[in-house]
Amino acid sequence: MELLQEIFSLYAQRSDWFLELLASHMALALSAIAMSGTLGLLLGVLISELPRLAPPVMGVCNVLYTVPAISLLGILIPFTGIGDKTAVIALTIYGVMPMVRNTYVGLTSLDPDILEAARGMGSTRVQLLLRVKLPMAAGVILAGLRNTVVMTISVAGIASFVGAGGLGVAIYRGITIYNPAMTAAGSVLIALLAFLCDLALGALERYFKKRGSP
Amino acid sequence: MAEPIIRFEGVSKSFGEQVVLRDLSLDVAPGEFLTIIGRSGCGKTTALRLVNGLLSPDAGRVLVQGKDVAQTDPVALRRGIGYAIQSVGLFPHLTVEKNIAYVPSISGLEGWKGKERREKAEALLRRVGLEPELAGRYPRSLSGGQRQRVGIARALAAGPEILLMDEPFGAVDEITRGQLQDELLCLHQASGITVLFVTHDIGEALKLGTRTLVLEAGEVQQYAPPSEILSGPATPFVEELVCRSRQFQARA
Ligand SMILES: Nc1ncnc2c1ncn2[C@@H]1O[C@H](COP(=O)(O)OP(=O)(O)O)[C@@H](O)[C@H]1O
Ligand SMILES: [Mg+2]
Repeated sequence: MELLQEIFSLYAQRSDWFLELLASHMALALSAIAMSGTLGLLLGVLISELPRLAPPVMGVCNVLYTVPAISLLGILIPFTGIGDKTAVIALTIYGVMPMVRNTYVGLTSLDPDILEAARGMGSTRVQLLLRVKLPMAAGVILAGLRNTVVMTISVAGIASFVGAGGLGVAIYRGITIYNPAMTAAGSVLIALLAFLCDLALGALERYFKKRGSP
Repeated sequence: MAEPIIRFEGVSKSFGEQVVLRDLSLDVAPGEFLTIIGRSGCGKTTALRLVNGLLSPDAGRVLVQGKDVAQTDPVALRRGIGYAIQSVGLFPHLTVEKNIAYVPSISGLEGWKGKERREKAEALLRRVGLEPELAGRYPRSLSGGQRQRVGIARALAAGPEILLMDEPFGAVDEITRGQLQDELLCLHQASGITVLFVTHDIGEALKLGTRTLVLEAGEVQQYAPPSEILSGPATPFVEELVCRSRQFQARA
């Protein structure tokens, strides 16, 4: 309880600072999500259209996914220096996997009868993809995006270790000046942000899943 | 016989070691209602999919309106041929109206936007015996019989001269099937469209067909009007098939 009180008084005293950190955290996460979302979607589409590429691409994504976030950041420093750029690159690499996997699974597990009808009626390959496959797989793809979003928001909390902004700054400072309330204050905001995004995307996902199923 | 609209010339098709169609030759006249009957796995679906180029023959040729399917742009060919399958395959994310307008829409046909599209979809719904109010609904809210009808409306939307139907009434109840059959007969008589209709129900084959093709083990057993099939079965296989169904009325 005492900790909770301390957290709230911190928010009250330093509201500008926390808002600033929250904004930069969202900016950081959003840039990474935009990149991993786009890249993951394109890769997922590519390997569903060219199944021969699926095992190697999925393999690489899986391996990258198992590298701990903190080591990925460390590995990148010699190449991209410190700061937001390195953080965004690491978060992008990290967030690609769920998107690729869900896009691939979504596009390759569609009802074959519907695809047969669509082909038999004279859809081109692009029309089949854009008008039939992607809309039908939208729910599963959104589930992947949701995964990526939540993970990116929470992993972005350690981006301050490479000198990037975001709520990780509060966490890191709390640790170095031994102020647990400050660390907790940053963490709570991250958790809250992730939770809200999860709720919103969950609702969207349910809508599209319902829409895409017979 | 008039210039055939569909012609199989010595067509053979195998999947791996398994020979599915063996040297099949067949002429279908325009306006014909051809029913194709045979037991499950005898190659009926394969024969249909050769017509719209979803499969290509290992030997021989399939001609549609005088042109070799292998030499034709498959996308353009398929847009001119209606295709209705047993599972229907309606698009779950599209309304009935948009499902019906799918072929005109992907073909970029004029007059299939906004109000015009709604009116044309409603007219097609009436043609297949459905309430026009269904246009705004989604397929998941329809009954099995309604879905079949929407599937037929969708197959007819772009005004094809050929309609391929693969066991379209296989999954609906007996009473609905009877109604659908009667409606399809009316539709055929009114439009003069050429229909290739696959079924494994001999009663249905004889009731609907102006000609019936009996397939067994990839070979033609008999290709004749239903009345001839009933009165003069060409092989023991056909004999046995019709034996069980003498009570059915032949159409021609
Ligand atoms: N794409 C395919 N690959 C391998 N075998 C197939 C394929 N399509 C059909 N077959 C086989 O060919 C045979 C005939 O199939 P089909 O034409 O669908 O029969 P029918 O429609 O008369 O029941 C079946 O034994 C089926 O397993
Ligand atoms: Mg079949």
